[in-house]
Amino acid sequence: MSVPTAVSAERHAAGFFEALAPGGRRVLFGLAAVAICLLFAFPVFWLVLTSLRPGFAVYYVHRGTDFTLDNFHDVLAQEIVLKALFNSFMIATLATLLSLAVTATSGYMLSRFKGPIPNTWFSLIYVFRCVPYVSWVLPLYFVTRQLGIFDTYWGLLLPHVAVHICFFSWIMKGFFDGIDPSMEYAAMIDGCSRWGAFWRVAMPAAIPGLTALAILCWLYTWNEFLFALILTSHETPIITVVMAQFVHELGMEWHLMSATAVLALGPALIVTLFGQKYVIRGLKV
Amino acid sequence: MAEVVLDEVQKSYGRVTAVQDFSLSIGDREFVVLVGPSGCGKSTTLRMIAGLEDIGAGTISIGGRVVNELQPKDRDIAMVFQNYALYQHMSVRDNLAFGLRNRRVPEPQIDAAIAQAARILSIEPLLDRRPRQLSGGQQQRVALGRCIVRNPQVFLFDEPLSNLDAQLRAQMRLELKELRQRVPTTSVFVTHDQVEAMTLGDRIVVMKDGLVQQVGTPLALYRRPANRFVAGFIGSPAMNFMDGRLTMEDDRLIMTGDGFSLSLPPTILGDAAPTGQHALCMGIRPQHLRLGGPSGPGQLGLGGTLMVTEQLGDEQIVAIRVGDKDVRIAGVDPDLRLAPGTGLEVSAGVENLHFFDADTGERLRATT
Repeated sequence: MSVPTAVSAERHAAGFFEALAPGGRRVLFGLAAVAICLLFAFPVFWLVLTSLRPGFAVYYVHRGTDFTLDNFHDVLAQEIVLKALFNSFMIATLATLLSLAVTATSGYMLSRFKGPIPNTWFSLIYVFRCVPYVSWVLPLYFVTRQLGIFDTYWGLLLPHVAVHICFFSWIMKGFFDGIDPSMEYAAMIDGCSRWGAFWRVAMPAAIPGLTALAILCWLYTWNEFLFALILTSHETPIITVVMAQFVHELGMEWHLMSATAVLALGPALIVTLFGQKYVIRGLKV
Repeated sequence: MAEVVLDEVQKSYGRVTAVQDFSLSIGDREFVVLVGPSGCGKSTTLRMIAGLEDIGAGTISIGGRVVNELQPKDRDIAMVFQNYALYQHMSVRDNLAFGLRNRRVPEPQIDAAIAQAARILSIEPLLDRRPRQLSGGQQQRVALGRCIVRNPQVFLFDEPLSNLDAQLRAQMRLELKELRQRVPTTSVFVTHDQVEAMTLGDRIVVMKDGLVQQVGTPLALYRRPANRFVAGFIGSPAMNFMDGRLTMEDDRLIMTGDGFSLSLPPTILGDAAPTGQHALCMGIRPQHLRLGGPSGPGQLGLGGTLMVTEQLGDEQIVAIRVGDKDVRIAGVDPDLRLAPGTGLEVSAGVENLHFFDADTGERLRATT
């Protein structure tokens, strides 16, 4: 008995969408899209609202009309916030450049070469990808201490680059898989070495993919918290960690934390808006 | 002089042998076509000449110089690929100039070479466009241009026409022939299309399973195929094959197969005439069969039932069923109305019959 009922329910459901005019369907999908966007946008909206409220009013953001830019003024007056913004920007940019240099060659090797070396490299990346992210943190703390790079740029850059290599080499391999290797063969016949063919023909063809990856790398490093929390201290403050430090033993300064978060949101927003078309184009390659 | 000599060249991938004992001497300015089905080793051979694949064993020399250990860029060759392989991020002009700039040719000479190649290939208006703005035929012309400007010792073509539609392919075949006359250069052309092989090649190398089956001029391959594979591969429509047994009765050879029995002149197989019962395969090209019974001595007749007709406008191709085999007849009058199921008699001159060993597939009789 249940089978015919299920079939009839399915037909009924299919009939509901089919019965809608194409315009009606568009409206329905549009409303669903707006609802999903609001779901994601609401916390950001609330954050911005909180950053504009005085300290005493942050628990009643939805009430009252007191708005101020003092929070931003107070935050920017703190040297550590400016330093953290600068450090985060530098580390995100350097990590992106280093990661791209390695993942481009690594992805190319995985895409174009067969044999024990690419196979071993592929297996290594796979194994490291399987290790839970959080379990890297404590060993990395000891390693950076031992190497004397704790709380330095290198101490944070190297782990980030290592993570990026594991995660993005696969994506880069996919980009190169989509590029016809005949172009490189033609370049080799036209006078290039294998390296020259990679650099002068394969790399320019992979620019949409590289741009997408650069944006993803930059955003990932800019927003990263766990490595920054464990592997840095006062010498190299990072914006995500500094933001969290507004929660301290004397209380929680939500208004300042929100203002810092909005400041941190700015560069990420610019990169995202600038790069979204490249990300979409790159991921379609 | 730019002879290309391959001497017992071999290539294996693990346990799979892609090319086996390939020996061939290609003369200066000769156009040789490697033809065969997918996986026969023709592209691998070409890539070994180009230096894109290591040579497993044997030697390859270009212009008297052994090139086994040379990089592709040092072999003085140019290659056209199946999917054009144009540099998508460069204009057509830069695509043409790329190889010359790598060789540090002065810019005025590059400009002159590009102008000349563009004129030969009629691509002057396209020079400032990007490859993706061009049609397939235009892209292939640019790929040819990239070869011409370099003025290399050898042109290599890896199925360059197979991505084009039938009409454009026929046009490009003609253009390639014209190009050969204007820029005579030693060329090796790989294709799986026997029509391309027949129309373009000075000589054709037929390959199968990594082995050379036959090397010869298009006419020699068509008229005297060395084995059943070559006979079936070269010629369109493909040759009809009929399996049977040969016996000697009185002074005649009798070939008996499923649905037919033929009386053959005793000398038809020359010295290769088998004694006693012997299994063999007879081949007749569809063009050598005609409707109607034998019209005189030296003619053989076959009877069958009409199955289908294919109308081509200038001719019909008719298929009749003889025993369990379909036999095709080409060149039938296009206005002739034939109903399926009709009994038909067809005939052929004995001089047009080919005989192959049933086991080895090797040719048994030399037909002129």
